[in-house]
Amino acid sequence: MTHSSARQRGAQIGFRPRAVGLALVMTILGALLAGCNTGRSVPGTTRVSFMVFGDPAELAAYRKLVAAFEAKQSEVRIQLIHIPSQKEYRRRLAADFTGGAPADVLLSNYLRFSDLASRGGVEILTPYFVRSTVLREEEFNPLVLKAFTWRNRLYGIPQNVSSLVVYYNKALFDAAGLPYPEDDWNWNDFVRTARALTRDVDSDGRTDQYGLGVEPTLTRLAPFIWQNGGELVDNRLEPTRLRLLEAPAVEAAQWFVDLQVRHGVVPNRVEERAEESEARFLNGRTAMFLNSRRGVPTYREIRGFDWDVAPLPRAKERAGILHSDAYFIARSSRVKDAAWRFIEYACSREGQEIIAASGRTVPSNMTVAASAAFLDPERKPQNSRVFLDTVPVMRAAPQHAGWVDIEEIASDELERAFYGEVELAEALRRTVERTQNVFNEYGPGAVSVAVPPAPGH
Amino acid sequence: MPFLGGALLLVGVPALLSFALAFTRYDALGPPQWVGLANFTEALRDIRLGAAIHNSVYFIALAVPLRLVGALLLALLLNRPFRGVGACRAAVYLPTVIPDAAYALIWLWIFNPVFGPLNLVLGALRLPTPTWLADPATAKLVFVGMSLFQIGEGFVILLAGLKSIPREYYEAAHVAGGSRWQAFLCITAPLLWPWLALLTFRDVIHSFQYTFTHAFLMTGGDPYYSTLFMPLLVYEEAFDRFRFGVGSAVMLLMFLLTAVMIAALYRVFRGRGYADAA
Repeated sequence: MTHSSARQRGAQIGFRPRAVGLALVMTILGALLAGCNTGRSVPGTTRVSFMVFGDPAELAAYRKLVAAFEAKQSEVRIQLIHIPSQKEYRRRLAADFTGGAPADVLLSNYLRFSDLASRGGVEILTPYFVRSTVLREEEFNPLVLKAFTWRNRLYGIPQNVSSLVVYYNKALFDAAGLPYPEDDWNWNDFVRTARALTRDVDSDGRTDQYGLGVEPTLTRLAPFIWQNGGELVDNRLEPTRLRLLEAPAVEAAQWFVDLQVRHGVVPNRVEERAEESEARFLNGRTAMFLNSRRGVPTYREIRGFDWDVAPLPRAKERAGILHSDAYFIARSSRVKDAAWRFIEYACSREGQEIIAASGRTVPSNMTVAASAAFLDPERKPQNSRVFLDTVPVMRAAPQHAGWVDIEEIASDELERAFYGEVELAEALRRTVERTQNVFNEYGPGAVSVAVPPAPGH
Repeated sequence: MPFLGGALLLVGVPALLSFALAFTRYDALGPPQWVGLANFTEALRDIRLGAAIHNSVYFIALAVPLRLVGALLLALLLNRPFRGVGACRAAVYLPTVIPDAAYALIWLWIFNPVFGPLNLVLGALRLPTPTWLADPATAKLVFVGMSLFQIGEGFVILLAGLKSIPREYYEAAHVAGGSRWQAFLCITAPLLWPWLALLTFRDVIHSFQYTFTHAFLMTGGDPYYSTLFMPLLVYEEAFDRFRFGVGSAVMLLMFLLTAVMIAALYRVFRGRGYADAA
């Protein structure tokens, strides 16, 4: 069929190429315009997009927060965007920034935010915070406010101030006739307990119940290095290299690796591959599991046994590692004032109480953290005070713009030593060598502000 | 023309733009900054790139010939009429239409080193039970094995190729006293050669991309980069580390590597392709 005859035939059946082309262009333009959030949807209201991550319990809490905020006023409406996992959330964030259309209000942890702040991706919130009549600086934990400060400017309003703790299965402790962990237990007590709780129940030569589950990452190892008097980096304020080859760090790393290699109280790589430690803990086949507050909403669904939390065991001194997320406003947002109104509400006492009820957060507002909204003895974990007791000894990882890379490389190398595939010395040497490339690549300008040690440390 | 225009606009232009990004530092937050070859030197200094290249080439070197041989054998087997041949052909094609995510999850279960059905069967037969995805030595083989069941497209193309060979050729060979093996060597193989060449080119290109979803969902590149393939590295650099420049550099290297492999294969197949190309 020739072009002209095709055109004629198209005309006979009502097909008009120009009209179809115009309709196509209009459709594409319409779609593009719809994608541009001008912040105005219903006349008189401003629409603010808010992207969150978390499991269904957390999503329910965010929905409650949004509903409560919208009930209090009628000018701002929130569009909640939910991404289930934190890792996917980061990827979505990258894609959204690439597309030039990130959500107006974002969540990010303190390890990631310096990257966003140094590149101008998020708004400076200092002027908003200073002007606020709802939020007061003295209500927030100073450590965590500092963690979201870069070059003396506040970029994020912290939502939580969590830390690494030991979750434990009370039923397995009872069955083994072991006392629950004391607040001042040490590394030896910890290993002894984990060994007693590691069992081959059916005597088939295969361990059925592990004493401990822990991810072999630098973030998990870090507090033990600090407890042993070691340091992660040469200079907390301007890190230029890792200090993992120094004796206190090597000793702590050896103790950590020995949990698997020597004592066998943690699943080996094959067992971990077959079933992850967190799943084993949920199924009642791992007695202790190291995690931040993040796990609580999921663990509250456990019906088969009772559980609680204990502080990390100590060595020469006590130390914990900060886990914290904050609310940010995207620099490109066109509705910053409305976005701030929402953040202001989310971080107010009322807003923090709503989120705290999900179990996910340790409120950054100290008054809320000390209230029944967080310490409610009727809600697990009963010993939530552990999180607050850890705050004075808590430290933060350096906020180097390349820290996520450094952490990932270190964890890749550490994992091999943890599963006995290479000697620890070799893993640490390679970690220092490989991460040095990252330090060199980013240079001193990549340094944001690292959180100084808490008073007394 | 409309297709060419669409392909140019939606594929060609973005591809060229991302090639240009390979020479810039770009984090999606600010404008790209020209850095010359810095992204390439940075990528080449990273042991992950070496591992990703090795893994991708390893996968292609094993998977492409095995997939082709598998598709060819099945096409030869199912080229004759017998009761149920349609169902058999459908069964060969079926795994190809399973969504990648579902396919990955099925194999994740099958290859579970402790609870997976494969190792339970091997154990029951008192055979060795490899730890599959937990062992760098066997992890890549899992991906090769998985790919061998998704050969439906190659199978259909080769079946069409076999159908296009006139029956008279085989009848003449039979009359002349030729065996089946001789008929395969002297008739089937030469006449299928262009189809095999086409499939080889296509499979090499496809195999570079094939591993992404499976590796992303099943291992994330573990253990210790043994299943980190080039597309996964591109994705991680761009969307995990916000280093779109380095990601684009790795993508450009992947593109060049594909071009080199295709050029090498072209030399191998030269003169044995389609009659109209000779």
